[in-house]
Amino acid sequence: MSEAFEPVTPLQTIGHATARVDAIERVNGSAKYSRDIKLPGMLYARVLRSPHPHARILSIDASAASALPGVRAVITHENAQIVWGSGSISGGRQYSDPSKDATLHRRYIFNNPARHVGDSIAAVAAVDRHTAEHALSLIKVAYEQLPFVLEPEAALADAAPKVWPEGNVCPDFRNNLEPMVSNAGDIDAGFAAADEVFEGRYDTAFIHNAQMEPRCALAHWEGDKLTLYTPSQGISNCRHDTARDLGLEDHQVRIVCNYMGGGFGNKNQNQDTDLIAATLSKRANAPVMLEMSRREDWLGVHGRWPTVQYYKIGVKQDGTLTAMQMRAYSGMGPYRKNSGGLSGMEAYACEHRARTIFPVYTNRTTSGNFRGPSEPHGFFGIESMMDDVAFRIGMDPVQFTLKNMLRPTDAQPFTNYSLEDCILRGTELFDWSTRRQAIPGSDPGAIKRGAGFAFMMFRAGVGSSSAIVRVDSKGHYTLFVGVTDIGPGAKTTMGMIAAEALGVPLAQVDVVAGDTDRCPYSVGESGSRTTIMTGYAVVEAAKDLKQQIAAQGMPTGNAVLIASATPQPTTDGKSRQCFGAHFVEVEVDTQLGTTRISKYVAVHESGRIINPQTTRDQIRGAIIQGIGQALYEDLHYDPASGQPLTPGYYRARHLTHADIPPIEVDFIEVDDGYGPFGAKTAGEAGIIMAPAAVANAIFNATGKRMTSLPITRNKILEAHA
Amino acid sequence: MRGYSRQQPELDALRGETMSAQDDHCEKPDSVVQYLDPRAQSRRDFLQHTGTAVVASAALGSVSMQASQAAPLEVAASALTRLNLTVNGRAQQLLVDPRWTLVEVLRDQLDLTGTKIGCNRSECGACTVLMNGKPVYACSQLAVWADGMEVQTVEGLAQNGRLSPLQQAFVDNNGPQCGFCTSGQLMSATALLRNNPSPDAAQVRMALVGNLCRCSNYMAIVEAVVATGANA
Repeated sequence: MSEAFEPVTPLQTIGHATARVDAIERVNGSAKYSRDIKLPGMLYARVLRSPHPHARILSIDASAASALPGVRAVITHENAQIVWGSGSISGGRQYSDPSKDATLHRRYIFNNPARHVGDSIAAVAAVDRHTAEHALSLIKVAYEQLPFVLEPEAALADAAPKVWPEGNVCPDFRNNLEPMVSNAGDIDAGFAAADEVFEGRYDTAFIHNAQMEPRCALAHWEGDKLTLYTPSQGISNCRHDTARDLGLEDHQVRIVCNYMGGGFGNKNQNQDTDLIAATLSKRANAPVMLEMSRREDWLGVHGRWPTVQYYKIGVKQDGTLTAMQMRAYSGMGPYRKNSGGLSGMEAYACEHRARTIFPVYTNRTTSGNFRGPSEPHGFFGIESMMDDVAFRIGMDPVQFTLKNMLRPTDAQPFTNYSLEDCILRGTELFDWSTRRQAIPGSDPGAIKRGAGFAFMMFRAGVGSSSAIVRVDSKGHYTLFVGVTDIGPGAKTTMGMIAAEALGVPLAQVDVVAGDTDRCPYSVGESGSRTTIMTGYAVVEAAKDLKQQIAAQGMPTGNAVLIASATPQPTTDGKSRQCFGAHFVEVEVDTQLGTTRISKYVAVHESGRIINPQTTRDQIRGAIIQGIGQALYEDLHYDPASGQPLTPGYYRARHLTHADIPPIEVDFIEVDDGYGPFGAKTAGEAGIIMAPAAVANAIFNATGKRMTSLPITRNKILEAHA
Repeated sequence: MRGYSRQQPELDALRGETMSAQDDHCEKPDSVVQYLDPRAQSRRDFLQHTGTAVVASAALGSVSMQASQAAPLEVAASALTRLNLTVNGRAQQLLVDPRWTLVEVLRDQLDLTGTKIGCNRSECGACTVLMNGKPVYACSQLAVWADGMEVQTVEGLAQNGRLSPLQQAFVDNNGPQCGFCTSGQLMSATALLRNNPSPDAAQVRMALVGNLCRCSNYMAIVEAVVATGANA
């Protein structure tokens, strides 16, 4: 099945388990995260947030707050009208300046009306955080409460309260209130050709990114130059967004983020905290540290969009797909920060397909990117549906997948294709044929065991980014890359790629990152792009430097040699994907409703693995997050009051040490000749299959199809009532 | 299955009523919301109504409740209270605002920023330090409660610039991903290893169950702690 690629073996540096270049700073307390930085005369800031899900501000009186001793600045929507361009984007196109400029439904740093509980109302800077907190309580706001809507389907009813005057379908990039439509072939012909047609409804909950570090921002002006110390998983984009929103040139903004306590997709642009801190700092003429509490972070940043998905699938008796139809609703909160898309259908080969996704405004907190923004909930829906179809026509879901999954064609070749290898390796490692119940739910007794499976492919496309590398007369190399290490180990990965490409030990390479004044553009730690894109720029810069050294010899004295690269690689028209297959065994206690995962095997092809240690832990961590999405995590709202009930780790039921199942990770390594030494996507890939695989395992164990995430005890008990 | 959280309803109740609402800046809409979300009480409310007065009078005796209630926020110098504690082996004499938590004093007064604030309400464990050898959530300890105590933070683990064996195992086993929970994990594990020098994985998981890791690097963390014990 596989094309003939040379077996991948470890190179000089790449392919060896390597401790992080900043590991010591991470374990001895010396790593400075944004909130650890102190500047002389620094003030502390706090944000006042709406207590109502939808309310017009009739008046706001900040006089008592301003008069409180120690308060240095108070800003509200009346005296600080600043558009937060990446907080609401027509079409959800997060990197498109024209879209942000044209956005119909603008989001400001303070909004009137307030459109969700936690929407920003005002902010205070004071000499210490307690004074700032007290000042918030002195701000008098008169609200007119407005009708609100929480559920995306309900929001599309004619009589539904309108989150925005034009209606509740989020505008596309042309500002038309239209859903995202993607059709191919002739769907009616597809269903006509089917022997059987099956339908299903699936829904998924809002999951907060819930990174450990609450968002904060330290703003500091020197003349008309702004420095922001802020958690950012994309310092270049954060700089550009901040400059645009504040009417500055990019070079007037410096973003610094040396360490970041996780992101998982919620900060590749600027955050409103950046703009609020900058504004307060300007007004108070002092550095301002804005800190968000855990609850504020939960309600004021974003999480994965909740969805409702309807599928209709046509299939031949032999299992061949003839038609795939989907209609879905993504709850975006009151602002469209990102797309609201749902993936998964494109992993199947089917000529006739129709997909319509409505991104919908609600008065819940904002939705946005979270590790595989469109994937785990989309794959949960389609792969649950396909598992159901396979069951109904009497096929093993693995066989059904092998029959129907997307494969390379003459019209669409791939750089390499190892999905089948991943699936077959997984069935062996997991012992699929033994662990799977031939008849779902047939395990006798109250505790039922069963096995589930899911697969994926995920983009690993190449793209442009930049790197600079320098060598001095002592033979020491310095790599400048605009990455931030939010957890996956980007600094170390970049250092390893540089060392390999330069042919020197890693210890001879310093990595300078996380500072827009010192580093060139980088794509940001999102979309699993850093390793592929910035890594490739590192390779090209290193090549250039080696050529210079070959031509001129090593520098002497105080001279240095410098090379920079901003390559524009392509995949020559081929699709470049990473691949994976997950196999899960569960034990479902049908009397208690609990689900225990007793075995988990994950097989991935992510090209050549740069650092086996950190890559393995990316996959393991992503799987655990995906299990949380499958079984536990949710942000509940009280339908009567519109109040969020479970913002926080404890109430959203995040997994702890005690909840972690054994997870086996296996990599199939391939060098397809693209990207840095053949490396592909890894960081997001691991989460994509976990919810589907767990849900399918629960079906196999119990015979009950669980169609709603998270699959809580209550839902399992209800299914068995 | 859910371990810690599920097994300690009394702790749950305690969190809901007292410790949990710190830094909650959402205005309180009405009593219904208070009922729905016990966290809708702020730290300021809590300390203003109970904590400050109680603690202030306990610590200083002479501070009247009236004074602390009348002007609870502009803390006059006279309202500061003396605090003696030993941090990482060094005796410290500090004047602290009775409202300050231990983690605030460590981070803001002593510049020991290795201890992180993840939730500020006893949920996540990022702020775990050792108080007289026992792991505590420093966000939920008023600093004055630590009077006379010995406190150890992540900065106190390395001796003479040499990482502790546990820290070295975290380096070798990729214990930190983003690193924000790492100091808390290290402190809980340090306490465990003092009591049980070679724990098995199940013992490590139970000892560290109060330390969340959203990178979900739990397996590497447990592997690092077990390796430390095995090499001891």
